[in-house]
Amino acid sequence: MKQFNTIFLKIAFVSITICLASACSNDFELDNLDETLYVRHKNADMPAYIRGNSSEKVFLITLHGGPGGTGLGFTGKAFDAIENQFGLVYFDQRGSGNSQGHYSEDDVSIDLMAEDVLALVKVLQRKFGSDSRFFLLGGSWGGTLGTATLLKNQSFFKGWIEVAGANNPAGLYDWYIETFTTTANNQIALGNSVDFWESVLELVAQVGAVNNLDDFLDLNGKAFEAEEKLFEDGFIDAVENGIGGNETFFTYNFLTRGWNNSQIASILDNQGLFQTTDFTSQLSEIRIPSLFISGRYDMVVPMVSAQTAFDAIGSTSKELEVFERSGHGPMFSEPELFAEKVIEFMNAHK
Amino acid sequence: MKNMKKYTLIFLLISALQLKGQDKIDASTFLAKTEFKIGYSGTILWSNGFLVGAEYLLKELDKTKERRGAKRTNTHQFLFNGNLSFMTNFSSKTDTGGYANFGLTWRRTNKKGKQFSIDLNPLGYYRSFLPETYKVNGDRVDKVFLPGRGYYSPSISVGIGKRRKGKVRSGSYVNITYSPRFNYNAGTLPTFSIQYGFRFNFKNKK
Repeated sequence: MKQFNTIFLKIAFVSITICLASACSNDFELDNLDETLYVRHKNADMPAYIRGNSSEKVFLITLHGGPGGTGLGFTGKAFDAIENQFGLVYFDQRGSGNSQGHYSEDDVSIDLMAEDVLALVKVLQRKFGSDSRFFLLGGSWGGTLGTATLLKNQSFFKGWIEVAGANNPAGLYDWYIETFTTTANNQIALGNSVDFWESVLELVAQVGAVNNLDDFLDLNGKAFEAEEKLFEDGFIDAVENGIGGNETFFTYNFLTRGWNNSQIASILDNQGLFQTTDFTSQLSEIRIPSLFISGRYDMVVPMVSAQTAFDAIGSTSKELEVFERSGHGPMFSEPELFAEKVIEFMNAHK
Repeated sequence: MKNMKKYTLIFLLISALQLKGQDKIDASTFLAKTEFKIGYSGTILWSNGFLVGAEYLLKELDKTKERRGAKRTNTHQFLFNGNLSFMTNFSSKTDTGGYANFGLTWRRTNKKGKQFSIDLNPLGYYRSFLPETYKVNGDRVDKVFLPGRGYYSPSISVGIGKRRKGKVRSGSYVNITYSPRFNYNAGTLPTFSIQYGFRFNFKNKK
């Protein structure tokens, strides 16, 4: 019995040592990264999921939509293809996904969240070396946050990719009214989902002439419904799956994700995100190479937003790609084309 | 300083009396009144782990009711409970943490041994354990030792179970627990979990 105990204790000691050694190990393969690390900044702990091939130390940092989406919400066919070429950093922003911390509502601002992104870059430089190169990609609300980040410090980045991005959230209200009216009239003329598009015109007639949050939220909700109809009627190849992504179900606790989403969205909404925030006049200060991608049938952030940003940005090297079979999620509707354009842009400017 | 000495002497005297008094506590009674428990704790889909705990019987009374012409006697128990649990999300590596909570349990047991219970644990603490974490302060980046955060996390559980009278494995239970975390981000995070496990009374013979 005593001998058995000794053997058991030895096995236990060796097992625990191996577990501790592997847990503390910092080894990683740059060409096949699968790391999760947290950024602690101003009372928030925010996870970054780092994947893909970074043998050239070129990373694409992604900023999810929402506010309150999830970093891994981008994952899917398009980003799998980009991961084969570059390192991908999927980041759960403050108050989103699996982020946690202690702070008050008053502390939260777009400015602070932009500082969080810059803090992430500093952590990546510490982890992978100061010779690492970074591109920034923002989707939807991530476009707002990315623009705010670049206006604080664009020197960290080799290029900016804005996907269906809202760098003028306050302008969405009027753009909804214009786009809904045009699209509804076109669809009614074609005889597609006539009852639905008539309800869209009714909503447009009901909302106030002055931008207000309640009417904005009604229009925003209708925009997602409109994309569903355009998908059903064959104009969009696949609808944006919101905060989905192909590996999010088991990664994010449904309740935590939903609660975080509603909290951070309501904090920023109540600060006037969709009534007062407009970076258009400052876009001329952004001079790094920029790529704008927008879906022809984007009802959530209409294509006019990308066109306005493209015209206003200060970059000498800039491109606007309109995806003809896409709505608000071109990476899900036309993944091959999306990956091709992003990889091409990164290769040109890395 | 003079007063300090006086209070120290009084404290030591009371402590000595208290310890002397405790000699008379029958250890066998304490064990007979205590059930230990071990089981699963988690949300199945997003977090999985284990729970260990103990329940000490404070008060027990029988209540007889007449229902459909027959008399039914149920046993009502009030217990002090303490639990430690650990859960993780194997998929994300970002939702790992441990709970410690203490409180009171009310439990009703019918003649067949079927139980219904409510646990109220106002004293609760949750500590998250994060993977590799770096703290950024200006341009300074430091790796954090044992990263994680602590939250006040009271809980309320509602459950059913089955008593096995006189057995060492004295019962089984299934609970649903609500345990909010204060202050999580800029608010209070609601969390739900399920516990399933067994109770043991080592004073029982079988």
